[in-house]
Amino acid sequence: MSGEATLTTPGRPKMPTRLPATVVLLCLLAFLASALPWLQQLSPLQLVSAFWTYDGDQYASVLAHFSWAPRISMALLIGCALGLSGAVTQQVLGNPLASPTTLGVESGGQFGITMATLFAPGLLALSPDIAAVAGGLLAIGLVILLTWRLGFSPVSVILAGLVVTFFLGAINMALLLLKGEWLGNLFIWGAGSLAQNNWSPFFDLLPKVLIIATLMLTLIRPLQLLQLGQTSANALGAKVSLLRATALFLVVAMTSVVVSRVGVVAFVGLAAPVLARLLGARTLTERLFWSTLAGAGILLAADTLAYWTTSLSGDSLVPTGTTTALIGGPIILLALQGFRNAHHMPDHDASPTGLLPPRRNPFQVAGLLTALLVITIVLSMSWSPGLESWNWTPFAQWTDAWVWRGPRLMAAILAGMALGMAGTLIQRMTGNPMGSPELLGISGGAALVMVTLALTGLDLGRAGQLAAATLGACGALGLLLLLARKHRFSGNQLLLGGLALYVFMDAGLRLVMATGGTVASQLLNWMYGSTWLISEMEAFGLLALVVGLGGLTLLTLRPLTLLPLGETSASALGLQVPRARLLLLLLAAALTAAATVVIGPLSFVGLIAPHLARVLGQQTVGKQLIAAALAGGLLLAIADYLARILVYPNQLPAGLLAALVGGLYFLWGLGRHGKN
Amino acid sequence: MPAFFDVRNLGVRIGATAILQEINLAFDEGQVTALLGHNGSGKSTLLKTLARQLPANAGEVMLEGKTAKSLGARAFARIVGYLPQHPPGTDGLTVRELIALGRYPWRGPLGRLSEEDHTLVDQAIADTDLKPFEHRSVDTLSGGERQRAWIAMLLAQQTRCLLLDEPISALDVKHQVETLRLVQRLAKQRALTVIVVLHDVDLAARFCDRLVALKAGAVVADGTPADVMNSQILETIYSVQMGVMERAPGQWVSYVH
Repeated sequence: MSGEATLTTPGRPKMPTRLPATVVLLCLLAFLASALPWLQQLSPLQLVSAFWTYDGDQYASVLAHFSWAPRISMALLIGCALGLSGAVTQQVLGNPLASPTTLGVESGGQFGITMATLFAPGLLALSPDIAAVAGGLLAIGLVILLTWRLGFSPVSVILAGLVVTFFLGAINMALLLLKGEWLGNLFIWGAGSLAQNNWSPFFDLLPKVLIIATLMLTLIRPLQLLQLGQTSANALGAKVSLLRATALFLVVAMTSVVVSRVGVVAFVGLAAPVLARLLGARTLTERLFWSTLAGAGILLAADTLAYWTTSLSGDSLVPTGTTTALIGGPIILLALQGFRNAHHMPDHDASPTGLLPPRRNPFQVAGLLTALLVITIVLSMSWSPGLESWNWTPFAQWTDAWVWRGPRLMAAILAGMALGMAGTLIQRMTGNPMGSPELLGISGGAALVMVTLALTGLDLGRAGQLAAATLGACGALGLLLLLARKHRFSGNQLLLGGLALYVFMDAGLRLVMATGGTVASQLLNWMYGSTWLISEMEAFGLLALVVGLGGLTLLTLRPLTLLPLGETSASALGLQVPRARLLLLLLAAALTAAATVVIGPLSFVGLIAPHLARVLGQQTVGKQLIAAALAGGLLLAIADYLARILVYPNQLPAGLLAALVGGLYFLWGLGRHGKN
Repeated sequence: MPAFFDVRNLGVRIGATAILQEINLAFDEGQVTALLGHNGSGKSTLLKTLARQLPANAGEVMLEGKTAKSLGARAFARIVGYLPQHPPGTDGLTVRELIALGRYPWRGPLGRLSEEDHTLVDQAIADTDLKPFEHRSVDTLSGGERQRAWIAMLLAQQTRCLLLDEPISALDVKHQVETLRLVQRLAKQRALTVIVVLHDVDLAARFCDRLVALKAGAVVADGTPADVMNSQILETIYSVQMGVMERAPGQWVSYVH
């Protein structure tokens, strides 16, 4: 063959110098920043020698040897471990946004330890690793189960990871509310603290990390093949399933070993490989090496930040897990900008084939849901436990009971309806059956404002809180719009932007938890959807809002049908895609904000109601919207009722209950479809 | 001597749908076989089954007289190379790095690439005319260049059999012809067994030793181009009224009425 030789021949691509320069600079600066307070008391030489010896006569030297040096070493070791695990995870799943954090491994490890603390303390004494690894495997197993049918598409895997993180977090939270006295310390630990008082944890962890890292490195060559896709990797003789399983097991082991020592150190495993990639690490070897180093640098920087904040704020302990999340959020946003090239942007092939149950008569389904809703309303208004026995309130006396049971029930139903509709909008718009307003970050924006209020100690009263949360939701929406404008409002970028917002919210939440006190418990009540705080006026305001927005939504059915065909086809059919997306986005955000102030940011209703509508055979947009609204309302009505009666005379937050039940349904539902 | 590939009573179902049934075929070394047929006739499925990408529900595939299943994954990949119909994005790999991955079945997870391996990679690059693109990222190439890069990877794999699923669908006429000519030449020189899914009957007849046509999962025609290239058989294969002209020995032109 000949020809095309006239083209200029580009040379072998070189690694850009900014990669090593930035990473080394990051490590050095972080190290200097952490050494700064000590340099006032010790000479640089003395400080460096603190890594292997100390001067018994000098207090500062002893302190440096037993506190500062092991902390630095620990941060570097864990940073390396997480950076490497992150890079391996990304390669295994072919997903530039995968990491132990986004796959739920870290929250799984934490969940394992929580369960062991409560039910098998002996196991913890034996080895905390076992419980953590089991929890991590559980989490990653759930994620794989959830995304099996969707072909592990990058965005779906991340969303499933988030769902699993939420779900395990909800269980953790329920345990905290029920058995708080046992678990209080666990949550400070869970936020990831690197404080050390001797060298033994480091030398305990070092061999484990080294062994797992060596095992990971032996997998480099086969891992490289995964870049060619499963079919070709198989055709070249790699046992892809075995390879994936082995590599993921190593990742889980590495992450869990770290989690069981220092708690959740979120997002280092994501930020490090993303940073390496953005700076130009191209081949697998480069990515593994540089993200290992970048992980060390990032964690050291985050830990130093945590140390400085703790010493500046005086009393409250700022765990390192919080500051890593603060650093992780911006890096995800940065990554979103960096993945603008088509071949770097994780796209997903919408192929939910097999997830289409037979169509059913919409009137029967709507009728059934309405009937169930009415039954729930009647039960909730009338049949409730008293101090001695269960009472039945006849219809004539409902006016008396209204003020206690009415507004909260009404608000719960309306919030459910709003979330059901918002979820349908988002799933249709993104063509992703895992999309939901909880994951879009709008709820997260509202929550972030509430967290900030709690942290600054401002007391605005209930109305002020509501207004502030709405502002937060609008702020999140604005940020999303800015982000999305660059990507022509395409769905997956929105979801990933939402992920970044969630990271911020999570960081704030951990901080509040670590400080403890009444602020934390108030905030927790709202976060997990305590409907008992609703007043009558708020309920009616919500009614007007939901009816109005619902009416508007019905006008958008046609664009919603077109959008999943893909941007090209939709615009070829004459739809102004960006404008339609903007409108739908605004609608979804308004609906979500209305619901979030009532039920909190963490219910699964917006995810489950649309899914339930599909399972009930409502495949076209309009029918799905209506069925999802009814299902959402029903779900939260039941949750509200149960929340009132389950631990009477105490109450559980309805949103937490919905999240637990909904999460179970979701896992069961997708698992069942996976078998068919 | 047993045939290289011996397919016996092969049946493949996906769900309840039978894709292939009762396929009996033998493929010999040094022979280039084209798989023809309408869309959904089972060509790709047959190729995937031969490449062990899909399990057979009935019957079996024998490789040189032994069941193909008995070989280890890398041992099989040293003998049989497979090019999927839609190769995925490669996430920043350069052409040369992609082609070098074809040496994996020989070097395994830990072995280093030797001088010989690099020579083979160079040879594959030269054979597919990819020298100017050697250090370009595969993702930035045009569809045709990318397809050639994948074919080059298969060449570097140095297998004794090539299974190609529509390898020339994205190529222009010149590169279509040159790729098929290369495959034909290699098959003769190295006694390769080549099985290739093609849509263009005329090109298939021009460059292949044997044409096998599938229809609804069963073999409807099997023979040399001279046997198959007549209007009755083509009409059976494609269910369209067709005619064939032989312009010169070994050069047919088929057309639709």
